[in-house]
Amino acid sequence: MIDPVTRHIWTYRLIYLALSLVVITYKLLPLGLGNIGLPAPDILLALTLAWVLRQPAVVPMASIIMVFLLADFLFHRPPGLWTALVLLVSENLRTRRAPMTAFPFLFEWGAFALAVFGLLILNRVALWVLMVDQTTLGLTLAQGIVTVAIYPIVVAVSKFLIGLRKLGPIDPEAAKAA
Amino acid sequence: MARDRNDQAYTRPVRRLLLTVVVLCLVSLVLIWRIDNPRVERMRAEIIDRVVPNMEWAMAPVTGMARMLDDFQSYTRLYEQNQELRRELQQMRAWREAALQLEQENARLLDLNRVQLDPELTFVTGIVLADSGSPFRRSVLLNVGARDGILDGWATMDGLGVVGRIAGVGERTARVLLLTDSNSRVPVTVQPSGQQALLLGDNSLAPALEFIEDPEDISAGDRVVTSGDGGLFPAGLLVGQVVMTPDGRVRARLAADYARLNFLRVMRSHPGTTLSDPGGLIGPPWPLPDTETNTAPISAPLLETGELGQ
Repeated sequence: MIDPVTRHIWTYRLIYLALSLVVITYKLLPLGLGNIGLPAPDILLALTLAWVLRQPAVVPMASIIMVFLLADFLFHRPPGLWTALVLLVSENLRTRRAPMTAFPFLFEWGAFALAVFGLLILNRVALWVLMVDQTTLGLTLAQGIVTVAIYPIVVAVSKFLIGLRKLGPIDPEAAKAA
Repeated sequence: MARDRNDQAYTRPVRRLLLTVVVLCLVSLVLIWRIDNPRVERMRAEIIDRVVPNMEWAMAPVTGMARMLDDFQSYTRLYEQNQELRRELQQMRAWREAALQLEQENARLLDLNRVQLDPELTFVTGIVLADSGSPFRRSVLLNVGARDGILDGWATMDGLGVVGRIAGVGERTARVLLLTDSNSRVPVTVQPSGQQALLLGDNSLAPALEFIEDPEDISAGDRVVTSGDGGLFPAGLLVGQVVMTPDGRVRARLAADYARLNFLRVMRSHPGTTLSDPGGLIGPPWPLPDTETNTAPISAPLLETGELGQ
């Protein structure tokens, strides 16, 4: 008999991988070729960090590496850079989430916004050091803002549709989450 | 709780070590990509080759549905569209008349000249599989690749105008860098005045025309065609029309319908003949015997500094 906590974790790990594949596929669909306006939000990043902040155990390091490395290769980004940065930031959030669980949602949102802009800036600096051609700063910032704006929607969907609630420090699953 | 803490004290350094190793691996991957770009890009093309056609069964229905939805939306604007089409048809009739006359004239002139039209400008048609997925990269993936004889750098058109050029070929897929991508630069000619310019993609739907000699000679509505400079594209492919933006920049409205890229033609272009030597001079062969002795003193100091002279 598998104990229910383990089963819960593994179910959500699979759900995470499936959702990520759906997001990647959706981004690859040749639909939005004509409309060039506001850059689309980085749903993959919002999803990953939201789940790391809510139930860290269901987004293990291996999942993040797999999903983001695949995305790097498919989206024609420098392979590995964005993955490494997301990994660092997510591990950072993972170690810091314990005191944050008691605070209201706004605080979590703020942490996410900080993480996103930190990521974008680190990414730009790394690309600048590597002397890779970059888009304008305005577009990058716009993408960051849109991504931050979409975070509550991602959280709402994962809470009410998928049933991923936020774990407090005393939950039994939190112990496994370390 | 105490056990958990023990557990944490045990696993945390291991985890940190693991994280460091993984991040170092990823960073070295980035560095390899930066140093040996072609090899990693080939790897990327192979990965895309393997992954994206597998997604096709999932993508085809979704894409189809979305396109149907688009078409349905356009039904709601049926009346204005109809009016617009009528007006355009009227204009087209006039153009058709002109085109027929020109065609006859052209046929007569060609007959006079006995010109052979270029038989090598044929095309391969591909279907758009996927777009780049990133908001800052404008490229699409075609379902034709090295297997179909596609080579890097070939021009790609939809029915009417240039869409972009092949940048990256896998076995079964090829990536088309669109003219709107910020890395795209294409030499073009602005037609009635014959001015050379460079079409710079900048992530907007109307790429900028730069390096124009006399911007005064250009007016809105002029035709922009590829110039064939640098052997990049075949000459004379339609790109679009000149538009003037309110801020005074000259841009090109593309003739290709970027909202509905579905079937694309990859133009099989052959490398144009390039002039590599200065042309044979009439006279003795070029490095004259006594000029060689003249150049000898120039290279002598190099030898001395290199300590090769023993």
